Amino acid sequence: MDLTTTVSVDEDNSVARVGLKGALNTDTAPEFEERLQKIVAEGYQLTVLDMKELDYISSAGLRVIFKAAKQTKSAGRRLAAANRKPHIDKVFEILKALPDMAVFANDQELDEYLDSMQSKVKGD
Amino acid sequence: MKDSITTRLIVLLTLCAAAVMGVGMLIDYQLSKNEILERVKLESRETITSVIIDLENLLDGVEGSTLFLGKILEQRDYTQEGLTQMLKDIVENNEDIFGSSIALNPDLVDDPLGFAPYYFNREGILTYANLAGEQDNYSRKAWFVEAVRAGRAIWVDPYFDHGGGEVLMTTFSVPVMRVDEQGQPYLYAVVTADVALDELHRYLQALRLGENGFGILISKDGTVLSAREPESILRHYLERAGEDRVAWQEIFEAAMAGQTITRELDCDQIDGRCMIRMDSLKTTGWPVGVLYSQTEILKPLWDYQVKATLVGLLTLLIMFGAVAIIARRLTRPLTALAHAADDFAQGELQSPLPPARGNDEIARLIRSLDGMRRDLSSYIQNLEEVTASRSRLEGELTAAREIQMAMLPQGGEAIETNPNFHLWAKVRPAKTVGGDLYSYYSDEQYIYLIVGDVSDKGVPAALFMARAMSLLQQQRTNLKQPDVGMGLLNDALEQDNENCMFVTLFIGVLDLHTYSLNFASAGHTPPSLLRNGLATTIEQEAGPALALASGLEFCSNTLQLQAGDRLAIYTDGIDEAFNIDAEMFGMARFNQCLAASLEKTVDVAGLGIIDSVDAFAAGTAQSDDITLMLLDIPAGNAEGSSSKAQVSRGFKLDGQLNASSGEWLEHTLEQAGVAPDIIMEMTLVLEELVTNVRKYAGLPEDAELTVEVTAAKTALTLTIIDGGAAFNPLEDAQRSPLGADIESAEIGGLGVHLVTQLTDEQVYRREGDQNLLQIVKQLQPNQAK
Repeated sequence: MDLTTTVSVDEDNSVARVGLKGALNTDTAPEFEERLQKIVAEGYQLTVLDMKELDYISSAGLRVIFKAAKQTKSAGRRLAAANRKPHIDKVFEILKALPDMAVFANDQELDEYLDSMQSKVKGD
Repeated sequence: MKDSITTRLIVLLTLCAAAVMGVGMLIDYQLSKNEILERVKLESRETITSVIIDLENLLDGVEGSTLFLGKILEQRDYTQEGLTQMLKDIVENNEDIFGSSIALNPDLVDDPLGFAPYYFNREGILTYANLAGEQDNYSRKAWFVEAVRAGRAIWVDPYFDHGGGEVLMTTFSVPVMRVDEQGQPYLYAVVTADVALDELHRYLQALRLGENGFGILISKDGTVLSAREPESILRHYLERAGEDRVAWQEIFEAAMAGQTITRELDCDQIDGRCMIRMDSLKTTGWPVGVLYSQTEILKPLWDYQVKATLVGLLTLLIMFGAVAIIARRLTRPLTALAHAADDFAQGELQSPLPPARGNDEIARLIRSLDGMRRDLSSYIQNLEEVTASRSRLEGELTAAREIQMAMLPQGGEAIETNPNFHLWAKVRPAKTVGGDLYSYYSDEQYIYLIVGDVSDKGVPAALFMARAMSLLQQQRTNLKQPDVGMGLLNDALEQDNENCMFVTLFIGVLDLHTYSLNFASAGHTPPSLLRNGLATTIEQEAGPALALASGLEFCSNTLQLQAGDRLAIYTDGIDEAFNIDAEMFGMARFNQCLAASLEKTVDVAGLGIIDSVDAFAAGTAQSDDITLMLLDIPAGNAEGSSSKAQVSRGFKLDGQLNASSGEWLEHTLEQAGVAPDIIMEMTLVLEELVTNVRKYAGLPEDAELTVEVTAAKTALTLTIIDGGAAFNPLEDAQRSPLGADIESAEIGGLGVHLVTQLTDEQVYRREGDQNLLQIVKQLQPNQAK
């Protein structure tokens, strides 16, 4: 199975939204890593991995996400995952990966979070 | 050219001529030999007769003279001078008489020594001797005594005359008797005449009996009087007879008995065989004979035969030459023809033929060969065109076959292994393409089994089969009730079926929960069931074949299957296979084969049955398309049992490893009816494990690892086997602490966590030079079907 990624950027809010579709496994992970590293290097405040259409993830894929999360955190920025399917969720659970990573169960939660971020920015 | 007609002709004719000549000469030789020997026989008879006559004449003359002298002395007295004178006259005038004597009875003479004058020829000189000497007195001599004793004239046996003629002689003695006054007879004298044996000997040896032939004279007591070798003379004939004593004795005794005898024998005196003719002299009773050498007699014949043979050989040689010339002349066109035919055979059809002259056999042969050449070249041309178009057609047909096979699940030979059933099916068209079909598919609860056979075979059947397959695909959702589905399919196929092709079809739906088989048959061969080692043909309510009339209704049949059953669905290409004796394979034989396949897995069993059909029909072409579908309900697969479906496959350690093994596992577990979430987890587990192997086993890309999956009702077992360096991922792989803060967490080593968390049991062991990792995932009761 292949992996297709789509990237949309909200420059105003400094949010990059990366949509994943397909399987993130040993075979697709290297390419995705390259892609994600570029996005992370852009320095957006928030990078959201939208897993609504991600069917499968293996440790190789997790490693890429793990690495990105580590980088953003050390730079004081954030990486979040949204719309994880149950079995994807289970994998995250098992590895107890990224306990402090923001996780949004669905788009609504994500939107709410973004709104709150926006207001926070405005509030500043 | 050893085998050429020319050579054979020459050799045969020469041999025949040689044989004829040889036989002719042999017969000629035998005839001539017999003729010659016969002539010699006649000649010998004449010779012996004339010899006897001559000798008799001689002896008769002697006898006559002597007897005459005796007669005279009986009646008249002479003075001693007178007697002496008379004696002298006799010897002088009778050349056959060697010597003669008148020996008076000594009692009648004054002289006590008696009176016995004797005249004889000493080397041609008439000599006188007085036999009445003191020594060797005649009155004791055999010729005197024996004659007196006999009282008649006798021939005395040969002796050497000492004191007289001093030669070897025989004597004719005549006693002269007178009668006294009282009428008593008394001996007056003995008159003798001697015949020198030398004379007889000379006479016999003067006979012309060839170089080696000779005359022989024997006295009554067997003493040889004349023979060729001087040393034989005066010896007993048996001493000289050598090895032929018996033969000689017979001859001698026959002659003594007065018979005339002719014999052939090997005699020492002559090289080779000799012929002897023997008779006897009447006067003395002595056997006399002539001997001829057969070799000598036949020598001229032999010489003649040698010459004749030489002439024959010369003739043969000349004939050989003549035959050779004639044969070559006759076969020259044939040789040319043979060369031309060889050239034709090698494809050189333009090679020249010898000219056809006249109308003899060879000319006719040349003309027909020429005709054949023309026909052949046009035939070859045709053939090339036909072959070209045929190979084009064959290419198209091969492509068609591939397309046709691709219409069938797994391309014409399918195997499907599932915890609930094992299925194997195969189509083998009689020609490149055919009209048989099978199909199957399963869902959660049912498996659909379809086997069909389009009428006829080859391309028309294949096209109709394609139509049937696509209509089956269309009606797929309507097949849950096979009888209804069959009706729909029939109506669809019947439309625009101008050629009146038809299909026999079996549609079965097996409930995987209850193992109840619901099926409909459109004129299809009934399936067979193997249960408890016994194969039987299932009775079915069959409807008509499809596509001939619309609106038909079909019966629904039900069969309850159970664990351990094997169902066989097949087309008539199997039961109607014929052997060379035109016997049909038949359902009974099929059931036997099915029963015999009990212990084998479906695929081995299926191929075995088809092999049996092939062996039965060996020597005949496959008459119809063959299709066989076998379905096993695994033994002990009933509720609560632990039947297993096990499959394994090797994968190369290249870039495709993860994708290909993952897809295969997904497919396998889907087939085994494993729930999708479990499939995903197991796929994830497999990915982690094979990635590990690829990273750490230190194997090249073309090496392989083997994945084995055992799907039981209660658990899935995944085994990964590789031949790499010993590596236990459960201990050796990097393992990050879980739940750590992002800053402190190590990146990587997550896979083993996943494996251990997602599965229930993980065992690593090193077997030989292989790593073997076994993962067990327990299934919830409802997770696998």
